[in-house]
Amino acid sequence: MNYLTRQELAAWLDRLAQEQTLIAPLDIAGNILYRPVADTHEVVWNFVRSFMSVKEVFFPRTERLMLIEKIGADVKLTETLPDEKSIIFGVRPCDARGLLTLDALFIDNEPIDPYYAKRRENTTLIGLACQSLGPSCFCTNVGGAPDDPAGMDIMLTASGDGYVAEIITEKGEKISKRFPVFDGLSEIRPHPSPARKHGLKIAPKEFWPAKFNDDFWAEMAERCLSCRICAYVCPSCRCFDVRDEALPGGDGQSQSERVRCWDSCNGIPYRRVAGGHNPRFMKNQRLRNRFYCKFYYFPIHYGPVSCTGCGRCIDACPVNVDITEVLGYVGRR
Amino acid sequence: MPYEPKIIAYLCSWCSYTGADTAGIARLKSPPNIRDIRVPCSGRVSPEIIMRTFQQGADGVLVLGCHIGECHYDTGNHRAAKRLPVLRALMAYAGLEPERVRLDWVSASEGERFSRIATEFTEAVRDLGPIHWKIGDRDARFVWEQEPISHRYSAFSDEQPKHAVYFTPVHEQQAQAIRAAATELLTNKQVDCVIGYEMGPRGRTRPAFVHQPEDVDRLVWNQDCTHNLTAYLSKKLGWGTDGGKKKQPDRLPKAAVVAKPCDSRSINVMLAENRFLREQIYIIGMACDGIRQGAGFNDEKSGAIQTRCAACNVRTPVVYDTLIGEPENTFREIPPEHIYPGIEHLDTLTSAERMEFWLSQFDRCIRCYACRQVCPMCDCPICLYERDDSLWVGMGNDVDEKRTFHLGRAYHLAGRCVGCNECERACPMDIPLSLIHRKMAQEMENIFSFRAGMAAVPPPFVTILGGEENLP
Repeated sequence: MNYLTRQELAAWLDRLAQEQTLIAPLDIAGNILYRPVADTHEVVWNFVRSFMSVKEVFFPRTERLMLIEKIGADVKLTETLPDEKSIIFGVRPCDARGLLTLDALFIDNEPIDPYYAKRRENTTLIGLACQSLGPSCFCTNVGGAPDDPAGMDIMLTASGDGYVAEIITEKGEKISKRFPVFDGLSEIRPHPSPARKHGLKIAPKEFWPAKFNDDFWAEMAERCLSCRICAYVCPSCRCFDVRDEALPGGDGQSQSERVRCWDSCNGIPYRRVAGGHNPRFMKNQRLRNRFYCKFYYFPIHYGPVSCTGCGRCIDACPVNVDITEVLGYVGRR
Repeated sequence: MPYEPKIIAYLCSWCSYTGADTAGIARLKSPPNIRDIRVPCSGRVSPEIIMRTFQQGADGVLVLGCHIGECHYDTGNHRAAKRLPVLRALMAYAGLEPERVRLDWVSASEGERFSRIATEFTEAVRDLGPIHWKIGDRDARFVWEQEPISHRYSAFSDEQPKHAVYFTPVHEQQAQAIRAAATELLTNKQVDCVIGYEMGPRGRTRPAFVHQPEDVDRLVWNQDCTHNLTAYLSKKLGWGTDGGKKKQPDRLPKAAVVAKPCDSRSINVMLAENRFLREQIYIIGMACDGIRQGAGFNDEKSGAIQTRCAACNVRTPVVYDTLIGEPENTFREIPPEHIYPGIEHLDTLTSAERMEFWLSQFDRCIRCYACRQVCPMCDCPICLYERDDSLWVGMGNDVDEKRTFHLGRAYHLAGRCVGCNECERACPMDIPLSLIHRKMAQEMENIFSFRAGMAAVPPPFVTILGGEENLP
């Protein structure tokens, strides 16, 4: 085991930041967000969870897939693969689990998404175990834990004034060797993590098909506003829309770009097809799809449930549509 | 090369375009900076077009139409005359010098007037210098580093909270009255659904939809009833295809709604817009003495009341069928500058500082559209800013695009926003949207002496100038 004091850890991060982009939780107008930092003094060390998950580092809200230039009679296409190397400090276990869910879709199954894969390859995750659970956290109910090191490269657990560090992958090994602060000699063990038992049982996927036509979905959806907060704050929602958009200006050459942006199945235009028909026009269909996707469709195609129990959607929903209420209903049988 | 401003002039095809021709025929000088765009009427130049023009790199926008009374469509220029001052106020608030937009009247014979206005305007824009409206850089980050603007300022923040008691017996009495009214309405089949409030599984108050008289016990009334339930009305009663429950085809759908005074004002706006008929709704009006800050999200049971409520002087719904509770008639005396100190503060800043402030706020936007979805007024089947053809704004997350959306929405809500503050409450990124919507409401009051929703009358933009009315 390695034991680092807060100062040692900060100094190590500061030096790493000189070589790679360091992304860490910052307080931006009262919201905790993962943003590039220049100085570790700005980093927020104590937080329950960030407002947006680290998903936005790997699968940004808006991303250029390629640049399309018309030069004379020719059309030039330039693929824009990300090549920046970065380190993310302070990743919560639920977010890392979210990334594993995204990996199942974007990397582990064909076709591989090169943009996402490249970012995953170039990024090292330094996890930070949760000291306490928020009121809406339910990671332990979907198979996670507040100190779950799955998906991390280095896992830190606060202990006294410092952190116990566990090096998990080669990537983590590599950055730990950059500067000699990890001695591997400490006897200090991390504190046991806070555990919480909810009565909530996650319904296995066999439970879901029978509930598809229940009135429950209409009742739940009646208050839904069809906004997209829940999908955008979710660490494992991954729908996107691709469009070609013109770029203004340019030096007499006509330029456009192919952009990819987040999208959500809760939005009305999500399912609209050519000709204007919308198979999921009713909001109960849309809301139902969100939950079926997470707990039925995704497990069928890729294995894990696509929910990490972070509880962000519960806290962000303006009308209190509660995912645990849905799970409670479906689990009741 | 010296700076030459790029000016786009929208000229009414009937008067001003011909006026510009007249100037040319008379060999009067007009500056070469002006690019003319011929439009059928100055009333056709919607504010979206002007904002888009700035976004595309114009330094100034000139709109010229026929003199009032001479419009070839009778009242097209009345609309231009009403919209443009509001747009100027909005753009100025967002950090653009208002002098960059000018509306004037030029008739077909007034070549000299065209030439004079064009020269004057070009010189005025030249003096202002190049515009820095367009950002263009997707990865640009804006962080406002000046002293924080306390938009969440509470008039009672330093005192003991006035409403520290949470479930007061009065609330329970009012809840019982709501249940009684709902039972009667549902039993007599006067309405299909009662929209009220209930307690969610985490103890958070949330919207409730009661269809059966047996379920009325779910309904509650407390200091957390912040949601504006009228936002559900249009979809339930209007084209009604979004509800999930099947409609009875042989009669109009009807709903009862629990409405606070602020919510009742939005009913008036919707009635004026013919979204549904008055007989389709039964309004259970609530006398209200304020909603708690943080209502709807956390489950604390005490705290100061919301700023907007502290300053509210409409304690009785402006339209209702049943009134529940005794309206309190003693209004809190709060000087206006204490209600929204952010607006006052922003007004004292320079244009550049204001622009930086708003960019830093809009930068956080994730385009989840919660502000729009939660708004009772935002009810377009397809939002202008979310069209598949990206006509007005791209779908990306650039700060330019987000600003276009928020300013466009603010303009669309001018004269319609009743200040229920749902957009700001719903915003997951805490963008102080109330600062912009309250400012627009203030401007509407200054320019037109109009307060949205006090009666079921259309907002000033869609009406013509009255005989006695002066040009704003």
